[in-house]
Amino acid sequence: MNSMYVQGNSFLHQLDPRTKILFVFSIILFVFLFYDPMFQFLVTVSLLPIVFLSGLTTPYLKTVKFMFLLVFLIITVHGLYNPMGDVTKVTWQLTENLSFKHDALIYGAVMSFRILSIGTATLLFVMSTHPSDLANALVKWKVPHAVAFMILSTFQLIPIIGREAKVIMEAQQARCLDVKANMIQRVKHLIPLFAPLFITSFMRVHQMSQVLECRGFSSTGPKTSLREMTIGFRDYAFLTAIALFALAAITLRAVVGGTLLPITDFVLMSALIGIWIVCSIYFFDFLWKSVRKKVV
Amino acid sequence: MENKAIKVENLTFRYPDAESDTLKNISFELDYGEVLGIIGPNGAGKTTLAMALKGLIPHTVDGEIQGKIIVDGKDVLKHDISEQVLNSGLVFQDPEGQLSQMSVEEEVAFGLGNIGVPRAEMVKRIEKALQTVGLAGFEKRSPLALSGGQQQRLAIASVMAMEPSIMMMDEPTTMLDPVGKNEVFKVLKSLKEKGMTGVIIEHEIERLTMYCDKILVLHEGESILFGTPKEIFSDLMLLKKFKLRGPQVTEVAYEVFNDKEQIPVVLDEAVQSFSKELKA
Repeated sequence: MNSMYVQGNSFLHQLDPRTKILFVFSIILFVFLFYDPMFQFLVTVSLLPIVFLSGLTTPYLKTVKFMFLLVFLIITVHGLYNPMGDVTKVTWQLTENLSFKHDALIYGAVMSFRILSIGTATLLFVMSTHPSDLANALVKWKVPHAVAFMILSTFQLIPIIGREAKVIMEAQQARCLDVKANMIQRVKHLIPLFAPLFITSFMRVHQMSQVLECRGFSSTGPKTSLREMTIGFRDYAFLTAIALFALAAITLRAVVGGTLLPITDFVLMSALIGIWIVCSIYFFDFLWKSVRKKVV
Repeated sequence: MENKAIKVENLTFRYPDAESDTLKNISFELDYGEVLGIIGPNGAGKTTLAMALKGLIPHTVDGEIQGKIIVDGKDVLKHDISEQVLNSGLVFQDPEGQLSQMSVEEEVAFGLGNIGVPRAEMVKRIEKALQTVGLAGFEKRSPLALSGGQQQRLAIASVMAMEPSIMMMDEPTTMLDPVGKNEVFKVLKSLKEKGMTGVIIEHEIERLTMYCDKILVLHEGESILFGTPKEIFSDLMLLKKFKLRGPQVTEVAYEVFNDKEQIPVVLDEAVQSFSKELKA
């Protein structure tokens, strides 16, 4: 399988893809309603039980580390260098000239947890939805058949093009293309690699279009699908829950405003240090694995 | 005249910017239940002819086309390809390039879904098609994880499941290894036994003589010979002139026998003729 789909039979797997799309959108709505690191953090944490219950913990942890790298950079760099807000309000003085500013840290923390929560929700969706189901869901939402096919075919096309690229690379190496030359040479060498790759890809797509024609792709009339999709009780229950949450969040926003609780230095420091700790765990894990690979 | 599976009259075709016609004045007829084998050297126009029979020419490929093509009672030039899905199906040369779905069963279901076959019927047809090509049990696999021979059989199953009246295959085994070739020919044999009407472009003459009722020889866009394998291959001298060869048994028999009437074209026949000759 070329997608990130993980087979399973959990509650989340059984939901209709359309429900899950709405779920992702509602998470995006929640995190952008408020400008409060505590709230964003809570949203992220509240998604973790769903990850666990869907049996996606291992693939999730594997994928989320790339997001943590991003989050680490965001909160650190913003906290140190973002000139927004009151620059004199310092949370943590590192050296004479280098300090984490209060307002900048809020921004960094909010952004970090927004990325984490949206990322988690999206990963939940992608990992629990078969690409074909996604395509079907889109068709049900009146997305043109051809667009849905395009989305689906990328899953198939990317590994094929990757394989082709490898073949071309080897063929050019056999013709003395030095792929281990210096940087500038290597950039120049991209042309003999990419030109044939583009041409073969176009030819492949052209042939695919003919194959599709032969399979009645452009035939008018109703289309059917092998995969069954029904919106059932659980979907309605899930959607109702989402709607209630959304309603509560919007009311809260209207009444209290973007910030729910006063943001203390302690909260910001915990966010910063917390992200650093998670990142370093991932980093040492990576180091440990590479060292072990070298030794064995 | 109405009950011909394929009827081609004076078909001439020229690609845009080409200096000469790719197909020149081709005419032939094929009955239902018959399999037509098309042979000829590279560049003879075999693939172009297959594309014209399927309607890819002129509907997706530009060019000047003259003449008349009637496949399964439909005028190919006048009907769009999507209207001809039930009349004819085409299997292409490149196995991998024909597959677009995430799993084997969805690959077969794709064409069925496009023409709106209900799900219950779909499941039945998928099972039957995969059974015929020997891919039962592979339903959930990714098409990319299959071998070349399996991919080509899957492509055949996908076309077959749509139940076209006429199956066309454009060099279905050229890109396969010997094992893959055998697999595909085994499927062709079982289709032939079920009374398939078909058109097969193929280089393996020995195989063609076994499966085909009619042979069409193309050379530089012209149809130079059309007839039963026996008729075509007994005239080896003419084939040689066009840089083609006959089946191996025919070539040998041609050197051995004086009586050109008893020249065999398939192996079983050859065994009989030779043993008769040796006894005498």
